[in-house]
Amino acid sequence: MTAQSLGLNTFQSTMLLFAAGALLLLMLVISSFKLSSETEARAAEIAKQRLVRVAARNTSFGLLNAETGQRGFLITGEEIYLEPYYLGAKEARKQLDDLTAQASDPSDLERMAVIAPVVGKKLAEMEQTIALAKSGKRDEALKILASDAGLQYMGALRDNLEAISARADRAVERGLEDLSASAKRLTLTTTIGSLLLASFASLTFYIVANNTGKLQSARQSLQTLTDELEERVKDRTEALTEANEEIQRFAYIVSHDLRAPLVNIMGFTSELETASNKLAGYFTRTALDVDEQTAAGIAVEDIPESIGFIRKSSVKMDGLIGAILKLSREGRRELKRERVQLDDVVETSLASLQHQIEAAGIAVDVEPSLPSVVSDRLALSQVVGNILDNAIKYLAPGRPGAIKITSEESGGRVKLRVTDNGRGIAEKDLTRIFDLFRRAGKPDRPGEGIGLAHVRSLVRVLGGDVTVASKLGEGTTFTVDLPKKMSGQNPSNKEQNA
Amino acid sequence: MNTENANPVTIVMIEDDEGHARLIERNIRRAGVTNEIVPLASGHAALEYLLGEDESGSVHSKRALLILLDLNLPDMSGVEILQKIKTNAHIKRSPVVVLTTTDDEREIQRCYDQGANVYITKPVNYESFANAIRQLGLFVAVMQVPAAE
Repeated sequence: MTAQSLGLNTFQSTMLLFAAGALLLLMLVISSFKLSSETEARAAEIAKQRLVRVAARNTSFGLLNAETGQRGFLITGEEIYLEPYYLGAKEARKQLDDLTAQASDPSDLERMAVIAPVVGKKLAEMEQTIALAKSGKRDEALKILASDAGLQYMGALRDNLEAISARADRAVERGLEDLSASAKRLTLTTTIGSLLLASFASLTFYIVANNTGKLQSARQSLQTLTDELEERVKDRTEALTEANEEIQRFAYIVSHDLRAPLVNIMGFTSELETASNKLAGYFTRTALDVDEQTAAGIAVEDIPESIGFIRKSSVKMDGLIGAILKLSREGRRELKRERVQLDDVVETSLASLQHQIEAAGIAVDVEPSLPSVVSDRLALSQVVGNILDNAIKYLAPGRPGAIKITSEESGGRVKLRVTDNGRGIAEKDLTRIFDLFRRAGKPDRPGEGIGLAHVRSLVRVLGGDVTVASKLGEGTTFTVDLPKKMSGQNPSNKEQNA
Repeated sequence: MNTENANPVTIVMIEDDEGHARLIERNIRRAGVTNEIVPLASGHAALEYLLGEDESGSVHSKRALLILLDLNLPDMSGVEILQKIKTNAHIKRSPVVVLTTTDDEREIQRCYDQGANVYITKPVNYESFANAIRQLGLFVAVMQVPAAE
């Protein structure tokens, strides 16, 4: 397309063509109008020339009739000849008036100047002779008639009137020729214009059709791309889900299998303890010399101390393994999709923490009518419960606690915010608080560093995310960003036996 | 105690972890149970013993067995062994005590569905563990175990 070489896009070139077509149509209309009004003017001119011709001829006939009547009366004296005379004279006068009114051609006007007085003279002569004849002076009348004057008048009149008539004839003929020519021009203009319009229309149609086709194929390829992309996203999601499941399986198996040796460590430690207690009693009773007293000391103090450490570490390890197990089990739990009112969840969580809230004198402000989501109620309760538990647990010293719960809804997602005025979290700790077994700040409160790890893993399973904003010493805000509707696809619900 | 019984109950202990086996045995003995305990450390050994060479289970005809079963075996799932026991004509009436570290509810349900008689989770806390086993010992002492057909 040349339009493209001009740097015009499809829309612009199409519009340009439309504009050109409209301009052409306008020009066509104007020229048709002009040509037809010209034709009309010509037709009017022709009509006028015809009138001139008719008037000239009829003047001539009128005069001839009048003369014939006059002569008949003068020769016969019969009154019946007077009627054609009167009619002729009247006709001649009327036609002469018409002619005078219509004539506009310079040559006509020249002739008219000659004709008008002559007609007057001729009519006067005829009137005079008639009058003479009526009063019995027929001889005198015949004498006037016999003079050549009347003949000359008639001759002059006939010549001039015929000349006018001939000129009008020629003018009519010429006018008709012109008329036909301008009609032809009109036809030609219309034909050319129509052809041009038709070609413009075809061109436009071609371009539009062509572009629509291109648009169609572009849309199709876009659709294909979108489909492919969706397919790829689906594949990736599946792969991720699988990887996630594998990690959870792994965590489950590892934590589970770690328990078996721990049973032995703790079991035999206890057995050892029992045995060493018995030995200690024996040595204490029977120790005689220094060596035996040293041995007794070992049995009474060192061995129980060692055993105490082994036992304590084992208990701790059991706690950690238990936490991992709990997390992985939570991840493997089948989620139940249902409509959950966040109001209910918050209310229930607050109710279960009511005792601590009252004991610490914390003011809790919950935004009225929190939105509802489609999600797993149990998981949400655990998330909200853990966050609220932290807010209550980590108060700023010397400041009455205040907790605010707000929400925000936009674009199919719901954000639930829990803001406290507690001791806050240092910036360097903001990311690690979500890690398993990691805690921030002074470890002066009981806890294992499991709560927030649990919160994050739960929120992710629900298809959301949890973020934290905090200023040390001023307070913390946890934001749980949830989909308004949890997707039906459950990322980790495969049957599993360990 | 079944000492006067013409067919004293044999306790079959299917447990791959030697330490666990030893702890279980010690605590059963402490409960005063003197019955023969046959320790088996793998799924294959267990099936071989339970079903006999002809794999029919008739080898235990007229004998009374109490089976202690750990689910986490290295060579096969304990549930599979449970199924084989409970579908064998000769030994299907032998009580099976599932004794394992798994406390997964679905797993527990599955075992009962397959015909387990008792499910006990091995507590990591030794006091509870020892206690549970001793109670099992007391249980063994008073229970009537039918002889295999």
